[in-house]
Amino acid sequence: MTPQHHKDRVIIIGGGIQGCAAAYFLAKRGQTVTLLEKDNIARHASGVNAGGVRRLGRDLAEIPLSLAAMDIWNHLSDEIGDAAMAFHPSFYVKVAIDEPGHIAGMARAEALQQAGFQHEVWLDETEIRKRIPCLARNISAKNMAGGEISGGLVVEGDGWAIPWRIVRGFADAAVRNGATITEHCHVESLKRQNNMWQIHTNAGDFEADIVVNCAGAWAADLARQSGEPDLPLTAYAPMLAVTERRPQILNAVMGILGHTLSLKQLDTGQFVIGGGVRADADIHQNEAGLSIPELATSMYRAAQLFPDIAHAKIIRCWSGIEGYMPDNLPVIGRGNQDGLVHGFGFSAHGFQLGPAVGEALADLVMGQQPRTSLAAFSPQRFSA
Amino acid sequence: MNAALHYDLIIIGAGPAGMSAAIYASKNDMTVLVLDDQPAGGGQVYRHVMQNAAAQNKAQFLGSDYWSGHKLADEFTRSSASLWPESRVWQITKEREVFFSQKGKAHRAQAGAILIATGAMERPMPITGWTLPGVMTIGAAQTMLKTSHSGVDGALFVGSGPLFYLTIWQYLNAGFDIKAVIDTAPGKMSLLHYFWALPALLQPSMLIKGLKWRSEIRRKTHYISGATAVSISGDSQAEALSFTDASGKQHRLEAEHIFLHQGVVPSINLTMATELEHRWCPRQLCWHPKTDIFGESSVQQIFVAGDGMGIAGAAAAISSGKIAAMRITAKARGTSSLNAVFQMVRQVQKMAIRPFLDYAFKPADEWLVPHDENAIICRCESLTKADITKAITLGVSGPNQLKSFSRAGMGRCQGRMCGLTIQKMITDHNSQSDDKTGYYRLRPPIRPLTVGELAALADDTPTS
Repeated sequence: MTPQHHKDRVIIIGGGIQGCAAAYFLAKRGQTVTLLEKDNIARHASGVNAGGVRRLGRDLAEIPLSLAAMDIWNHLSDEIGDAAMAFHPSFYVKVAIDEPGHIAGMARAEALQQAGFQHEVWLDETEIRKRIPCLARNISAKNMAGGEISGGLVVEGDGWAIPWRIVRGFADAAVRNGATITEHCHVESLKRQNNMWQIHTNAGDFEADIVVNCAGAWAADLARQSGEPDLPLTAYAPMLAVTERRPQILNAVMGILGHTLSLKQLDTGQFVIGGGVRADADIHQNEAGLSIPELATSMYRAAQLFPDIAHAKIIRCWSGIEGYMPDNLPVIGRGNQDGLVHGFGFSAHGFQLGPAVGEALADLVMGQQPRTSLAAFSPQRFSA
Repeated sequence: MNAALHYDLIIIGAGPAGMSAAIYASKNDMTVLVLDDQPAGGGQVYRHVMQNAAAQNKAQFLGSDYWSGHKLADEFTRSSASLWPESRVWQITKEREVFFSQKGKAHRAQAGAILIATGAMERPMPITGWTLPGVMTIGAAQTMLKTSHSGVDGALFVGSGPLFYLTIWQYLNAGFDIKAVIDTAPGKMSLLHYFWALPALLQPSMLIKGLKWRSEIRRKTHYISGATAVSISGDSQAEALSFTDASGKQHRLEAEHIFLHQGVVPSINLTMATELEHRWCPRQLCWHPKTDIFGESSVQQIFVAGDGMGIAGAAAAISSGKIAAMRITAKARGTSSLNAVFQMVRQVQKMAIRPFLDYAFKPADEWLVPHDENAIICRCESLTKADITKAITLGVSGPNQLKSFSRAGMGRCQGRMCGLTIQKMITDHNSQSDDKTGYYRLRPPIRPLTVGELAALADDTPTS
């Protein structure tokens, strides 16, 4: 390949949901934007996550951003067209199956009420069972915690999406609005010179006024290369399993209060089971580990809620590389250097936030005030 | 988590390679666990041999090659190696942990060394109508012969390869009536065939046996060679087979039972899911795990033997299993592997016929990718050739990207039925090498595992 030299106003590094959404909103507002992706669009965490579109259980600091994102999800076809059909809204429930879960759930509902948020509410057992009739009568609890379902937290309108389709949808919409997306383009060096970013890649050199770092698990490496202080990002590989097709019994996305589980049934009838279980990841080799025995607890939990799931055959397990911050909150904000904007470290819950993050990153690039406060996500919060 | 079992050597697969390795290693005081999905040792080639030997009515029609496996299986049964039958291994780790399910329960075992001897599987033959009820593989027909001495009259046999002729010969021996044999191998030998027939002369008995099968089949059945453009028709069940013979004449034969075969390829789901390195073998048109001369893979202490490392037949598998066991034992004891090297010299002689067989029965392109746009390629997701072509045209570099675009290979067979076909379609479309295209990234569990079985491994509270 002959070295090429491109000059752009904005260059986004990383073709996950955050980068693709940012490219879309910037292009829509008439900015000259190029996105560089080292593999292919949605190759890592953004493409292979559980696809939960969830406001439920968010950190208080994340709720405004999550609600803003939901506004976009609810009118997603206005932004990305037909790809929006990959979003299946229903409702999200986290049930209490033991006393600690019950207490935590009630306290959470109370705290949200006081903070003025109405979207997440506590429903009692009868209400929950009315909505999910196939839920087990008795929660079996051999040698593991368990007991009675006493109620749960519910968010109406949350749901699930096929993640790579949504990301692809934002990428395609960005291109339709004039953005350039270059896949298999690996950034080899990133330097600020004469008030411009000089970007050297395997596919030629680029120059930009502003760089947006959406490099996910690779973002801290990129930040360091650019001359930013170290950011405490760690890469892991969250794991998921999918079963064969089974009769439809579950119309909600489910979890259990105080226990790690993410459970949903796709429109194909397949169950996707996971939640909080992660293997090692190697960002330099692009390798996501997989240790199926670690998924055993999630399987046990899923079968507790719906005993019939125990008979379903697991046909595939997978994992993807994701970047985690020590406080489990993302990094969204301007870097220490001029012309650098960060959006990464979503710690395995950034998929739903994606559309709003894309919009916020576009605001930061264009020097506008973002819709919601980003104070809690400041990149500088670790250097104090 | 259940208390882990611990063995010096865990062998996966009790076929010729696995059994001979188990015999050698256990004789040399290694603790050996053998896991196999069948009720007894034998593998595919000697399937059910112990049960058949114990039966009143000896199934002599299976032939002397089959019965030669009885001695091996018997010695294996009497060895100190423990066989856990009906066990499905669904994951092994580079740290040599083996996870498997037996009778609805998952288990974990730790090995000093692992030998993967999972053998071969039949190469899928995706032609129009191959998914219709009534269409089976030759291997399935042979399994019925071996396990229940059952078969059907009036079937059509379509394909080529050593197993193809052997099974038809066994079918005739067993007294079943065969409607016709439609041979898809080219009718004439090329210069290359004659060249590779020279080393094959080192195994004259094999050559003679093959010629004997073929001449008996020609004599006793309605035999048509050089068939092309084969397709199966039927509404809800196979009804007829159409094809063109070597002279260009079209035929249509009615049949309810049609057996297909296009050779065998290594079963790579376990070796690939363990992330061992593989290389494409252009002669056998399949992937081989990369190993050293003893069968040790790219991951230390994980060995491969038998047809799973490249198709070489049962005799060579017995030998390669023994070589691996010799090396594993020598490494564990810190002694010399010279005996394994001597064994290797004998191994070479057992493989002399292989290049000839590989060239003589190399499947033509039309058996690898169907001509018919409506032929099913991915059975699990019911995707036709046209569906796959459409997804490839979106611009994919390999089979993994195609998964997201088409769902091909995402079903319960984990790509066993469509993997090689899709790889070839991408290779041809992109005009790139098979190594560049690559194969599906296979991930555990590589055998069906229920949610309940896996849940049985969960235990988050310490119990006494």
